[in-house]
Amino acid sequence: MLLKRYIPIGIVAFFGALTLSAWFIDNETIETFANDDATQFFDIIAAFAVFLGALNLLKLQFIKVLKQQSGWQYSAVAIASFFFAFIIGFFIRGAYFVGEEVYFSQGAAEEAILALGSSQQIVPVDWGAHVQTDGSLFQWMFKYIFSPLSATMFALLAFFVASASFRAFRARNLEASLLLVAGIIIMLGRVPVGSLISSWVIMYIIAFSVGFGVNAYTRNRNMALGWVLGSFGLITGLGFTMGWPVDQPAIFYLPALQEWIYLVPNLAGSRAILIGIGLGIVATSLRYIFGLEKSYLGE
Amino acid sequence: MKYLEDIILKLGAVDRRIIFLLIGLAVLIPLLTPISLPVRETPTTVKFYEGIDNIPKNSKVLVSFDYGPSTRPEIHPMNVGVLRHMLRNGHKIYISCLWPDGIYMALDALEEITDEVNPDNQSTFDIKEYEDYVLLGYRPGAEAVIKGLASDLRKVYTVDAKGRFIDDIEMMDEIKNLNDFAYIYSGSAGYPGTFEWVKYGGDPTGVPMSSGTTSVQVNEVIPYVQTGQLIGLLAGMPGAAEYEKLIASPGIAIQGMAAQSFAHIVIVIFIVFGNLAFFIKQRRDRKY
Amino acid sequence: MTFSAILGAWIAAFLTLGIFSYLYKDNPFYKIAENVFVGVSAAYVAAISFWTQIYPNLFGRLFPKDGPLSFTGLEFDFNHEFNILYLFPLILGLMMLLSVFQQFNWMARWGIAYTVAIAAGLKAFGYLNSNVLNQVKASSVDLFSGSLPFFSLGGDSVFNNIVLLVGTISSLMYFYFSKEQTGNFGRFTRLGVYFLMVSFGASFGFAVMGRISLLIGRFNDLIDYSSADYNFATFYVLLFIIVVLGFWSFKNREK
Repeated sequence: MLLKRYIPIGIVAFFGALTLSAWFIDNETIETFANDDATQFFDIIAAFAVFLGALNLLKLQFIKVLKQQSGWQYSAVAIASFFFAFIIGFFIRGAYFVGEEVYFSQGAAEEAILALGSSQQIVPVDWGAHVQTDGSLFQWMFKYIFSPLSATMFALLAFFVASASFRAFRARNLEASLLLVAGIIIMLGRVPVGSLISSWVIMYIIAFSVGFGVNAYTRNRNMALGWVLGSFGLITGLGFTMGWPVDQPAIFYLPALQEWIYLVPNLAGSRAILIGIGLGIVATSLRYIFGLEKSYLGE
Repeated sequence: MKYLEDIILKLGAVDRRIIFLLIGLAVLIPLLTPISLPVRETPTTVKFYEGIDNIPKNSKVLVSFDYGPSTRPEIHPMNVGVLRHMLRNGHKIYISCLWPDGIYMALDALEEITDEVNPDNQSTFDIKEYEDYVLLGYRPGAEAVIKGLASDLRKVYTVDAKGRFIDDIEMMDEIKNLNDFAYIYSGSAGYPGTFEWVKYGGDPTGVPMSSGTTSVQVNEVIPYVQTGQLIGLLAGMPGAAEYEKLIASPGIAIQGMAAQSFAHIVIVIFIVFGNLAFFIKQRRDRKY
Repeated sequence: MTFSAILGAWIAAFLTLGIFSYLYKDNPFYKIAENVFVGVSAAYVAAISFWTQIYPNLFGRLFPKDGPLSFTGLEFDFNHEFNILYLFPLILGLMMLLSVFQQFNWMARWGIAYTVAIAAGLKAFGYLNSNVLNQVKASSVDLFSGSLPFFSLGGDSVFNNIVLLVGTISSLMYFYFSKEQTGNFGRFTRLGVYFLMVSFGASFGFAVMGRISLLIGRFNDLIDYSSADYNFATFYVLLFIIVVLGFWSFKNREK
């Protein structure tokens, strides 16, 4: 109980209070520890947590392979990929400098020297720097294996967003309609094609849409038709008078309208959410420090 | 009219793989047949541009690469543009990374800058490491790293990305912590990134800062722009395209705007069609 | 183009198109690419974490050059001085690693507790200052000074400031659940909901924008890899995947 419960709660209370108080107490020892060493400890333990995650992953995948559970072949692929990357990261330098050129192996560097007839020395990169060196084997793995996979996983979402837009986003009520209209205005107004859509087109679309509303409210088709024809006529007359400028009236010009929505009503909502999140985080952090919240113990 | 309604209803029930194909074509075709569309700068991008222009010449600036390959198309053009803008104004650049992949993004960006040639086939930016820029590298720890930088840089970085001691780098002589920078910029794709830089970097030190973010993050970050905690903002790929136009260095962001525009039109059409099909079905169900 | 670059392009094209093949249906190419991602990313992050943090900052402080523990034969010269306090994260880190065994899995709690403590202590002040105080300060807008126009689409104006103030307060009020949201209070919070809906709609628009941008990036890479420099990698890999998937779908349909 002491080791499994009270000591972790004590650690949270002590170090949490220490870090928080460092913002307010003007004491060099506390400030130095909280700002420098305490945060370094955090970084180091986080690094160990990464290893824990990797070990857990291997454990689960090995169990799947050994027990030949469904899809064990793919787990074997995961294990093989892990060790491939692990060996490159921990056991192969992968970067040998001959002047400005970088080679993956000592042998390749020696061959290059022989081929060029150069007298330059081979300079192996330091351990540690080999994971951050341009042209290294580790960087090759990052660029051609990790990077395309990571990017493509996210890019897949574009297709699902398109599918969701078609099959799921419905203007069932006023709130949903507001959401969709705001989304459409932002989507069109933020890209170059939005500035090519004349404000007059938007006015016609609004007049036409209001006509549907008039029809739904009055259930009188003649009245709706009258509204549509009347408003179209008014817009056309206004357009001829003003010479059909693309960006006037500005309130119907998508980029300008989008900017107003983005910087005024949207900002109001976003600010409220940000303040709410801030208050929630403060309350939750204090709950952790006071020991009221113990979810990190699995409770 | 009924015939039209039937067609719309049929389209509303189409296999989702057709939708995938259509959106794929909407993006692919403009990329294969480049179409030039006019890019219009938004106020937040102009503010960002002016914010960098207003930095006193030959200052020391911190540029943080806080993104990875998954968000590279949005943030990378911004960061390359920022490096160009900073170098043109003679600033000394110090590059940090809060994401492990950020170091490779930084290396790629520097390679793009050094490989760039002007019409006379001369290198546009003849930059040298440790004279024009220092690549500090990646450190894990998110806000802990920023807090450490705000307090004492040498507690976080004892060596740079190449393993060279910080104390042996002349460009680092006058840098003790974040207060010694004239400007902080973070190209951020999430956590850690803009929020952390504002909370633990910009706000406590008062050093002017700004950021380029992914489109997904823009709405969460915009309150910081209005308060002045961020001087302007680059919002996603369109923001990167606007910035490329302002610094007169068109790149992949501007090239991608046609594809972005057509994809958005297709999605808006999907939303309209989907809702039309929904309303028609609803009305028919009510009748029966 | 070097052999490593061409080989890399073929691998990248295969993995990219393998992931995209999921759009057709879940299939072996996708599963292979997914599991490669799982394995490689775990090892990649572990390598980066070790070489950029544990190696210089922990070993460099426990086993510095000419330090008291140099008799062990371990010396890591990162310009640090010996600091015995760094035994604490070493012990907590090793306890974390031991927790992979069932009987020791409680040991991870100490390390997790420490990270929770630091995160809580850092975040509490940071969010209070930046998210709450600064945002509330910015909500006090200029309404009566007379220096602003009544309405402006692009810049500051009295109307915009009124909308901002009313919108922020009504949206915040919506999240106050200690009082029943009825009557005038309910009407005011409903207004807040509308502002939140506009905000969510804008977030949706930006989310779509972001996803499309990422897709543009992938397609740009695939277009690059389809060039003669990379031996038309994209085309051959795409053809291979389509043929194999077609055959696989046909066999599955029979089953």
